Parts: sequence; structure tokens; C-alpha cells
Amino acid sequence: MGNKWRGYLFVLPALAVYLAFAVLPALHTAYLSFFDWDGVTLGSWTGLDNYAEVFQDPGLRGSVLNALVLVVFFAFLPILMGLAMTGLLARHRRPGMAAFRLLFMLPQVVPLVAVGVTWRWLYGDDGVLNETLSGIGLGGVTRAWLGDFDWALVAVGVVGTWVLSGLCMMLFLSGVQKIDTHLYEAARLDGAGAVREFVSVTLPHLRGEIAVALTVTTVAALASFDIVYVTTGGGPGEETTVPGLLVYRLAFSDGKVGLASALGVVLSLLILVLVYVINRLSRDER
Amino acid sequence: MTDTRFQRRRRRVPTAVCTLALALLLTACTALTPGSDTGGNGPRTVPRSTAVPDEDITLRLTFADAPVMVDALIAAFRKKHPRITIEPSYTQFADYVKNIKLSMASETAPDIAQFAVGMDDIAARGDILDLAPYRDTYGWDRDFPAANLEQLSGSGEQATTGRHLYGVPAGLSMTGIYYNKELAAKAGITGPPKTLAEFERQLAAVKEAGMTPLGVGALDSGGLHLWAALVNNMMPPRDYRDWVKGADGATIKTKETLAATDKLTEWSRKGYFNESANGTGQVDSTGQFTRGDSVFLINGNWAAGQLAQAMGDKAGFFLMPGEKPSARAVSSGFSVSYAISSRTEHPEAAGAFLDFLGSPEAAKIVVANGFLPPDAGAVPTPKGVLGEVAREHKRVTADEGMNHFPDFTAPNMLDPLRAGVQKLIAGRVSPGGYLDSLQAVWKERNGK
Amino acid sequence: MNTAPRAERWSGYALLTVLAIAVIVPFLSVFLASMQPSGEPVVGMAWPEQWSLENYRNAWSVAGFSELMRSSLIIAVGVVPASLVLAALAGYALGTMRLPGGNAVAALFIAGLTIPVELIVVPLYFDLRTVGLSDSYLGVILVEIALFMPFSVFWMRTHFRTTPQSLVEAARIDGASSATILFRVLLPLARPPLMTLGLLVFMWSWNQFLLVLVLIQDATKRTAPAGLGFFVGQNNTDVPMLAAGTIIVMLPITLLYLLFQRSFVSGLLQGAFKG
Repeated sequence: MGNKWRGYLFVLPALAVYLAFAVLPALHTAYLSFFDWDGVTLGSWTGLDNYAEVFQDPGLRGSVLNALVLVVFFAFLPILMGLAMTGLLARHRRPGMAAFRLLFMLPQVVPLVAVGVTWRWLYGDDGVLNETLSGIGLGGVTRAWLGDFDWALVAVGVVGTWVLSGLCMMLFLSGVQKIDTHLYEAARLDGAGAVREFVSVTLPHLRGEIAVALTVTTVAALASFDIVYVTTGGGPGEETTVPGLLVYRLAFSDGKVGLASALGVVLSLLILVLVYVINRLSRDER
Repeated sequence: MTDTRFQRRRRRVPTAVCTLALALLLTACTALTPGSDTGGNGPRTVPRSTAVPDEDITLRLTFADAPVMVDALIAAFRKKHPRITIEPSYTQFADYVKNIKLSMASETAPDIAQFAVGMDDIAARGDILDLAPYRDTYGWDRDFPAANLEQLSGSGEQATTGRHLYGVPAGLSMTGIYYNKELAAKAGITGPPKTLAEFERQLAAVKEAGMTPLGVGALDSGGLHLWAALVNNMMPPRDYRDWVKGADGATIKTKETLAATDKLTEWSRKGYFNESANGTGQVDSTGQFTRGDSVFLINGNWAAGQLAQAMGDKAGFFLMPGEKPSARAVSSGFSVSYAISSRTEHPEAAGAFLDFLGSPEAAKIVVANGFLPPDAGAVPTPKGVLGEVAREHKRVTADEGMNHFPDFTAPNMLDPLRAGVQKLIAGRVSPGGYLDSLQAVWKERNGK
Repeated sequence: MNTAPRAERWSGYALLTVLAIAVIVPFLSVFLASMQPSGEPVVGMAWPEQWSLENYRNAWSVAGFSELMRSSLIIAVGVVPASLVLAALAGYALGTMRLPGGNAVAALFIAGLTIPVELIVVPLYFDLRTVGLSDSYLGVILVEIALFMPFSVFWMRTHFRTTPQSLVEAARIDGASSATILFRVLLPLARPPLMTLGLLVFMWSWNQFLLVLVLIQDATKRTAPAGLGFFVGQNNTDVPMLAAGTIIVMLPITLLYLLFQRSFVSGLLQGAFKG
């Protein structure tokens, strides 16, 4: 073995585990997606039929659309909120920020299943949300939020907003600290107000952080499973089914392993493309 | 010194990890052809011998219906077989159905499992044992009515050949409508309705009186029970059974089922259901009913034990009435039955438990929990709401009116039914569209 | 820095406080619910009349949360050290040596950064059965190591790339082997990033749900989140007990977070690549 190659001894263990338990299963999924297989009897090759079904079946297409709606709540809202808070807080040092930071990151740390259980109860008939609404005289709008066709997806989305907003906010605030203070002073000398300062100094310098935040939150939305599984299970109707839930259901209770695999592949490709686009855009304009 | 130690460690650790990973990689490769190696390699049928070895044995039992009854059955069985411990694990029905295929196929499958939708597939795969030898040695065809064993003799093709047996019934189940006699009286209702039209007048009267008429736990299976109850009374049972069995040319979209489905949407429009039906599970709708939140409740006999305990004489039960008072008594039901995993190490002990389910002692426990014993003559009819359930069940049996639950049509029928009824309740789908979606799933399963 | 106008400063704090309340209310409500008498219906955010840990005791022993926590711990304890060792080795080689095709290998790892569990879980269920690793802690541990490996390698590689090359050169001139350089020179300096990585991997392992839901069918081996997922289905009427279970599942990771807040926060912010 040449001296040059000896370094691979260090890489090999990690590579082997990664290939065996992540890359190979991913390829296996792609392979299974070309079969009609119930998980038990011998499968039969069906070419691209499963992919055709993913795009044609209203239920499967609907789940992808639901996931895209969740992107609004998991990605756009947290980022907008994070930016707004950054605009408000970035210009000045504030004592006590460390405590707020600690608190705001907490939802990101605890298991999403526990988060889901908590919110499931908040949204319940006798939950905090309905009680609060009744308490302030809005008893007329109370409902079982997670069982309501108009509101269930929004309710699930809000959970995502709750989880991810703190992360976005703190990502941006820490990004702001890297900005040269002279830039702010220069802007202020030019007579820039808070808004212009934010638009002309803060925002451009946060492009990298925004790209990271957008990547993380978009992946979280598209690959969401935990929260939906424990709050709504995909209901009411199919209002909150997401691809992750259908992959699980199709493969393991409906006996459609090939179709589940195809959906998994489509979901992963969608994620890859979006992540690529996000990072491409943020780099090109820099 | 230290250097050599590092070197040695460097070699040992990665080599071990590499070897393991590569071995796994290679083995995984051979499994690339789907379906080539699945299926139980173990025994397909129980052994001939029924003799339970004299040793301490622990059996794991997984189930989805009637936890109180199961606990009591286990305790009674334990008294007879002190060395056999049964550890029950309860899962709600919707989760149970979702998971049963995976858990029965796993190496650590429970020894005994409640029979459910999709058990035909599990049997075909060889994950549960054919109990035919035990039927013969224990004489189960004497202990259990033939009709009930017939339901459990499924083959991969859903035909009932009767040669095999995959489960033994503990109690029989049936859906119907509970009512709160006290609250009903406040709305001027004196007794259970004799016709559908009378029931509708009662629902309207309750609504008029400012109470919630019908509690529906449509988050899980409550909605589909209501729909099935309406269908049972409008669609000729023979047509319905053909559909569930997957007979050629059967369809769920008929004039009668359209009328039944229309009725459900009409009730929803008129506000007869609890406001958050789509967000309420069956367990919760039952809890609300005991607290007086609704006057009627759609549920199954499995809730009767709990209702008898919480409400005493206040609770009553009747079947969804037909159009005429003389109509045939039809309801949806199945048996709460148990199957034995082909991975169990103690088929004899599991068999002894199944045999115990046919004993008069077990029948007493079954009745006390609102289920019907397989042998109706074994126990006297209980009092209160439990007795009302038993009497209605006898009517159904006499009229040969027991229909399978609609989700038995196909393993993936439960979700379209649940989601579909939720949409009907919310007015998000037309009755025709709903029936079309069910027929599409049916066709996929049977139309090959 | 100059002081802000008073109005701006207070509006900032006011907004922060509002958001803080929004974060706290769900946690607080679930905590208060867990203190209510077992089995009783809970309405809104009621202050318990009597504080009692009864629900916790029941959830812990009767509902089996002690076993769930043990499983979670076994898996996390298996995943974290292995991840650190493998990632440190690979990150060292990919970050400091000029390997032929090294960039391609690094790219292969980075490509895995956004792999969702949904892409691998279906065949894993069947493959692990084939090799006899279904329902085993080892199976889940290996898959989690693989799943977190892209990030772990990426993280360590980034770290080793930023350590001054002169250190490595100096050691090499002294005749040290690659292994010696790593263990004697670089690793002692890499303690903070290793610490952060260990915490992140622990958190991901602790919180993993879908993978465990599929790969572990044995109820006695389920992890805390998977157990909680099932528990919801069984006990949605006993809110106080469910709430206690929820708190129990959240507690270990929350304690770690509070104990190692600095590492945690920096890890989450710098390495927000997986979530």
C-alpha cells in the first residue's frame, strides 16, 4: 500500500459504517421503488409505475403539497420572525440575552414526539388554547383544532413555527455579532434609520445564516413525521398527511413497499433540489 | 511506550469495525431481490401434543380490545395454571392495526395476539400458527359455534375453507347505540326507537332541548361504525357480505348505500353530532358520554363494561333501527379472538390459554365485560346495559344479521373509511365520491 | 456601544418577553397537568390543589417509562462514543492529509447531510431482519451512527482543517507517525468540538422516532420517544399521567442542555445542518 493511501485507514471505519447502514439502504430503496412488492411474497418488476402513481394519485400528491404548505410554517415564518427580532435587537447590546437565548433554543432540543404530545393537548377540546379563547370572550371560535378540516394543517404548522423560530432567531443574532461595527457606525453617519440600516447592512451580511436556516427548516418541514404522527395521524380526512407518514403506512401496514420506496425517493430528491437551489442562490449573489 | 500502544490500538479497532461492517454489507447484498427470503421459516402449525410442560412459562399477549376483560381472563387462567404467567400489552385499535404486521413478523413477536384485519396476510406468511390440530384434540368445534370458527379459518385468498384455524374467539363484538336514559327523558324520549324515522325524531328532539344528540368518536373508528350501522339497515346483507368477501362484481356504490351515506351527511348538517367529532377518539367520546355530554353514543359492546360501571342503570343500548319495526336485526361485529405466533416457544401453554377461553368460567368474565360469550347458553343474561347488549345480540344472531366490519375488506381499507367519514361529517366529499373511493380500494385488492 | 433610545429598548424587551411566554406556556401547561390527580380530566392551565409526584411514580414504574429510558440510554451510549471515534479518525485524515480522491470521499459524506430517515427506513427493516439485527439495540445503534456520520465527519474535518498546519508539520519533523500526531497533538486540542459533537449526537439519538418505531417492535426495547408515541394512543384520557410521561422523556436532554449550555448552543448554531 502506498504511503499516500495509508491515510484511508483512518477513513475506512467511518466510511464502512456509513456505506453499509446509510448509503446502501438508500440505494436499496431506489431499487425497491421499481417493484410491486407487498413485503412478503415475491415482488414483480414494474418499472416506473410507482413513480407514475406518486405523481398521479391525489392522496400521494396531496401529501407532498401538504409538506410544501408546512414549509411556510416551518421555514418562512420562523425566518421572518427571526429577522424581525434581529432588526429590533441587533443594534444594541442587551443584558440578559443569554437567558432568553437559552430559553428560545429549548424547543429545538427536546424530542419532537414530546412536543407533539404537548401541543396535542394544548389544542384539545379542554386545552389551553380553547380555554384562553373562551376566557377572553372568543368562545365562539373554539374548536378541536386538530380535527378541523380548515385548521388542522395550520395547527400542525404552528407547532413547527414554535420549534424552529428560536433557532432562526439565535442564528441571525449570532450572525449579526460577526458584522463589523464600523459598518453600522458608517451607516449611522449617513443618517440611516433603523429600517435602512437593517436592509443595507444587516440583511446582506446575514445571507449565509439565512441560507443555513432555510436549509434546516425546509428539510424539517418536508421530512416531518414525528409531530404529525402524534398530533393528527394525518387526519382529518387527509388534510395533514405528509410523505413521511405515507412512507410508513404504505410500507408497513398497506403492504406497498415499492410505492413507499418511490415516495421516499421523490421526497429525498425534492429535498436535494431545494437544498441545492437555496445554497446556490445564497452563494451566487454574494 | 505510548506510541506502540497507540499503534496497536489503531490496528485493532478499525479492523474489527471494518470486518463487521463489510460482513453486514455482503449479507445485505444477497437480500436485494425483494421477497426472496421472507416468510416464516419456523413451524406452520401447532404441535400435536397439547401437554403443557411443567415449568415456569411466561407468555406475552398483545391486544386492542377490552383491557379489563383481558386482565380478568388472565387472572382466572392463572389460577388454573399457576406456572403460566401471561403479560398483556394493550394498544389502541388504530395503532394496533398499523403495527400488527410488523410486530408479528419480528423475531420478538408476542406469543399470543388478538386477531385483526390483515391476519389473513399474516397467516399466509406463516407468522401465526394453524391451530387445526388443537381444534381436533381439544374439541373446539364443540366449544365454539361453527360460524365463529369459520370467520377465523382464513386463507391467503380470503376464502373460508375451514380446513385451517388461525384463532379462537373469546368474546363476540357488535356495534350499536348507547343512550343516557336520564337525559333522554328530559328530551321527552321514553324508550329506544323502533324505526329509523323515530330515531331521527328523537335526535331532533334532543337537539331542540339544547343537548348534543349523538356522540361520535370519528378521530378513529367511531365514524365508520356509524356509517356501517346505517348501511347495515339499508343494504341487503347478502350484497354487503359479497362486497366484504370480494365476490366478483360486488360494489359498495348502490342506491341503498348512497341513501345511507346521505343520511350521515344530513345528520351532520343538522348538527346532530358532537361539534368536534372529527377530533375526538372513541375512548374520549365514551368518556364524554359518561359525563352527560351527549344523549346517544355510537360505539361497540366493548364499551358496555365501562359504561355499566360509570353510569349504572342510566345507560341503555339499542341497535340502529331499520325502516320498519319488523326489520331484520343487522349489526356489524366480529369476535375478539386470539392467534398464536409461530415464533412462540410455548405453543402448548398458549394453546391451553386459548382452550380456557371456551370454558364456562371464561364465558362469565366475557359477559361481565359486555361481550357475548361464544356459547350464548353458557351464562345467564346479566342485568342493566350489559343485558340490553346481550339481548340485542341474540336478536342479531337469530336473524343471522351479523355483518363483518367494513375495514375487513382490505388491509388498507381502514384509512379511506376513517378519512372518508371525517370528510362526510365536514361536508368535504359527496356521498358518491366517498363510495367511489372505497370501491377503488376494493378493486385494487380484488380486481386482479 | 451607545445606549438605545428608551422606547426602542423597552419595546425590544417587551417583545422578547412575549416570545418567552409563548415558549414557556406549552412547557408550563404540561408540567401543571402532570401535577393534577391521576385520571382526572384537566381543563386548561389549572394550578394543582395539591402538589404530588404520584403521576411520575406511576409513569415510571407502572407505565414502564423506566425501561423506555434505559433503552434510550443504552442506544445513546452506544452511538455517541463510536460516532466520536469514527468521526475523529475520518475527519483527521480528510482534513489534514492529502488523500488521493479525498475530496470525492468528503463529498460523499457531505451528500448524506440531508438524507431523511424516510429514504432508508423501509429497506433497513427488511435488511436488518436478514442479518439478524432486527429488534436489537445494536442494529439501531449502527444505523444511527451511519445516519449522523455525514455531519460528524463534516464537523471534525472542519475542525482539523482550521488547526494550524504548523503544529502537524512540527510533529512530523520530530518523526511522529500519523497516529501519534492525531492522539498526542491534535485530539487534546479538539476537546471542545468533540464535546459539542458528542452532545449533538446524543440529542439526535435521544430524539429519534421513526427509525425506532420501525426497527424495534419489541415493546420492552422501545426508546423513550417511541414509547411515548405508543403511550399517547393508550392513555389519551389520563392526561396527568401522559403529561408526567412527557416530562420524563424531555427531562434528561433538557438537563444536559442546561448543564452544557455553551457547547450546546454553539453546536446548534454552527452545526444547524441537521435537526
